[in-house]
Amino acid sequence: MDATGLAQLVPGLAKLGGGLSIGLAALGTGIGMGILVGKAIEGMARQPESAGMLRTTMFIGVAFVEALALYALVITFLLIF
Amino acid sequence: MNLMEHLHPHVYIPLKIGSMDLSITNAVVSIWIACLLVFLTLTFAGRIGRLIPTGLQNLMESLVSFVKNSLIHEILGEEGMVWFPFIATLFFFILFCNLLGLVPKMFTATSNINVTASLAIVVFICTQGAGIAKQGFVGYCKTFVPKGMPGGIAGVVLTVFMVFVEFISQLARPFSLAVRLFANMTAGHMVILVFISMIFMFQGIFARIFVTPMALVMAVVMMAFEIFVGLLQAFIFAILASIYISLAVHPEH
Repeated sequence: MDATGLAQLVPGLAKLGGGLSIGLAALGTGIGMGILVGKAIEGMARQPESAGMLRTTMFIGVAFVEALALYALVITFLLIF
Repeated sequence: MNLMEHLHPHVYIPLKIGSMDLSITNAVVSIWIACLLVFLTLTFAGRIGRLIPTGLQNLMESLVSFVKNSLIHEILGEEGMVWFPFIATLFFFILFCNLLGLVPKMFTATSNINVTASLAIVVFICTQGAGIAKQGFVGYCKTFVPKGMPGGIAGVVLTVFMVFVEFISQLARPFSLAVRLFANMTAGHMVILVFISMIFMFQGIFARIFVTPMALVMAVVMMAFEIFVGLLQAFIFAILASIYISLAVHPEH
């Protein structure tokens, strides 16, 4: 076990961790957004008069779900640079 | 990594007071220009004063009435008009900062974590202050405990746990506000930078002839998406600030 040899791996492993972080986060976020927007469209199809309220609430939900993916993106920035 | 260089502020006039670094960077100049633009646009749109609004007055009136109806009346009710100047200033400032970053040579102020964290800390102070002012310090602390706890020793342990969880969620709100705005703006600009730098990365004439049109088209598409994201993030920040204030003032039962 060579200490300096292992230390050379650290930048590469950091970038690997960065890629993995945002990849896994995008997985969950994609599923969440798909469910969210799908339900919103379903609601709009059932009752077109409430489309405005549904659209506004959908955007707020999208911002919450996207924030989780963006936390992982911040970690990726920290790891890559 | 010359990508990050575009996202860091460049210092124009170094200025240190004591041990605080108050240099005039391009981020500071962008914030000044955004403030000036907000003030001038809204003042002149208000001065035009036609009975049937057209043009700039129409645009600004529709934005202001959007803030008044969707962000204040829907969430805070009639007495929420006290908060209207704060929420409207937040909305217009973030909107103009985001859109100003798309102009060439201008820095996106909100893509700096310090700017968004300052805005989030101000919102945090406002929500806690509003809750304490409305209900008194003890009454506000009482809202941390949900109703209907079982009695006995299990109830005490559960109550302590719930108060702890409530603390964490209250602290997570300004953090998420700051990071949401910061990461949205930075990620958008970073994608545009990656597409443009792809043109320079490819050596050789054939690769460049193939890559340049695609990279330019994608960069234009991402710029259009950035306009939408800038509008959306300003709206989200303002409506979340409004919702947090309403939760502090009328605690839900």
